[in-house]
Amino acid sequence: MPIDILLQLLINGILFGAMYGIAAIGLSLIFGTMRIVFIAQGTMIILAAYGSFWLFKLWGMDPYVSIFFVVPASLIVGIGFYQALFRKVAKAGQFPTLLIAFGLMALLENLMFVVFTGNSRALQTSYSTYALTLLGMKISFVRLMVFVMAILGATGVTLFLKKTLLGKAVRAASENLEYAMLVGITPHQVNTVTFALGMGLAGLAGVATATTYAFDPFSGFVFGLKAMIALALGGMGNVAGALLGGILLGVVESYSAFFLSGGWADVISYAVFLLVLMFKPEGLFSRDTSAKL
Amino acid sequence: MKTMNKKQFILSVIILAVCTAVPLIFDPETSYVVYFLFMAFIYVTLAQAWNIVAGYTGQVTLGLHAFFGLGAYVIAIGWSRELIGYLDPLGMFAAGCAAAILAILVGIPLLSKLKGDYFALGTLGLGEILRLVTIQGGAFTAGPTGILLPSSSFNTLTPHYFIALFLALLALGVTYYMTKSNIGLALVAVRDDETAAAASGINILKFKVLAFAVAAFLAGLCGALQAYYIFHVEPQGFYSLNWTLYPVLMCVLGGAGTLSGPVIGALFLTVVFEIAKYALPEIHPIFSGLLIIFSIMFLPKGLIGLKPGRMFQRTKRIS
Repeated sequence: MPIDILLQLLINGILFGAMYGIAAIGLSLIFGTMRIVFIAQGTMIILAAYGSFWLFKLWGMDPYVSIFFVVPASLIVGIGFYQALFRKVAKAGQFPTLLIAFGLMALLENLMFVVFTGNSRALQTSYSTYALTLLGMKISFVRLMVFVMAILGATGVTLFLKKTLLGKAVRAASENLEYAMLVGITPHQVNTVTFALGMGLAGLAGVATATTYAFDPFSGFVFGLKAMIALALGGMGNVAGALLGGILLGVVESYSAFFLSGGWADVISYAVFLLVLMFKPEGLFSRDTSAKL
Repeated sequence: MKTMNKKQFILSVIILAVCTAVPLIFDPETSYVVYFLFMAFIYVTLAQAWNIVAGYTGQVTLGLHAFFGLGAYVIAIGWSRELIGYLDPLGMFAAGCAAAILAILVGIPLLSKLKGDYFALGTLGLGEILRLVTIQGGAFTAGPTGILLPSSSFNTLTPHYFIALFLALLALGVTYYMTKSNIGLALVAVRDDETAAAASGINILKFKVLAFAVAAFLAGLCGALQAYYIFHVEPQGFYSLNWTLYPVLMCVLGGAGTLSGPVIGALFLTVVFEIAKYALPEIHPIFSGLLIIFSIMFLPKGLIGLKPGRMFQRTKRIS
């Protein structure tokens, strides 16, 4: 096996996985404060992908420009979701929130199916097939942009959490909600912020999806599952871990797709997911194993 | 609590027993009523199966479709190799057992480590794995096109109807037995406070796995029966997430953690779905999503409402 093929697969996997990483960071944030895994995340990503697709199709807007419309819109949708659906049941525990997310997924999927039809869509720009050559490796431009978006998204979220007062409140609440409430942090406010951030990241992942993948209304479910796998690999409630988990998943998929086949690649990623859940549920990259689980 | 359960049990049995008369009144070959009730019974069984795991034991599983599909495939693979026959009770029992064994194998490691949505996600992943493995299964599972069964054996829906009715009664009986016996007490104790349950000497893992396996067994039987009705077992239809989505919805809408909740929910929603299929064929799946959201938000205890379905009062966290 020539080394450059292995290297090429590694690069493809890393670039690929960055997208799972963006989605996983959003899931991780929501999990951090609300202790729910938001199953509808993947479906939100596809909704955002449709947003980017139609902005391009109808007004010829470049997908990278559409970020500035799709992401703010997703932030607002996130606030709306929290206020309309989760605010009331946030205190009632995981069970109702999980089922509402499940219901939301079914609702959005079928709504998109009716509005946008079940046809598979792909955003074709003039540079979609352009590839850079670097040290003999072919690097797809759109995939590289996904990676750049993932790094920028992760950095942005980290800065927000570390530097702003609101971000510090979010971190405090995810570490210990009771103590955070004692110092005057309102859970609803923190939950709203994390939900908005989570959906904003879903918006970013949606644009990334639109530029690299063909998608249809129901591909969100699988995508959301992949984001959860990335999250399980990386460990809940940890931004860098979620991104690394996504990249690791991308690499695993890239190699298994090459050595086995595309169909088996998915089986392997789910199997890795189940194995990690069974034997190391705190995640592979979590530094602090006691705090989150 | 006990007398209430008894009342609910007797009421549910009466409702279902009235149904035994249906094929005598309506012609099973032409009547829509018989088909409708057949589907409703399958949903009652699946909703009750989910109720045992989630409603009574508090472990949300989103993997019913994995066991449903597995049951169907046991029948399809066995029948196409002439190991079992048409409407073979032993074959169906084997299908249920296969599902239960899988549930035990997956349940022990998953349930010993995971709580809450981790377990939900794990079971959701299980369904996906089985679907993909089946698609990749080559000649053994006939890949994505699925297995075609000898549909010439079908002449009437009557046996299917009675088997489905039997399954619904079985699910109800199992749930009733569980609530009446010590097992039920243990399950509810595990749901309400795991630490306290463990402290009182309950083997938490054993009871969680037991509930999970019983639910899988029932789902496997339903899958087997559906395979005998559809005669074309393929991965997309039998491993469809709807086999989890609808029972969850029915159980939650009817009232999770109660005996008759899933029965009421399943009968009610099968009616709604059938009407929606006629009246609004395009957008009917949208309603299932909306209904889940609305029933959780506004009817947290289900249609059975006034009775205590206490599962939503506790805040459970991954400790």
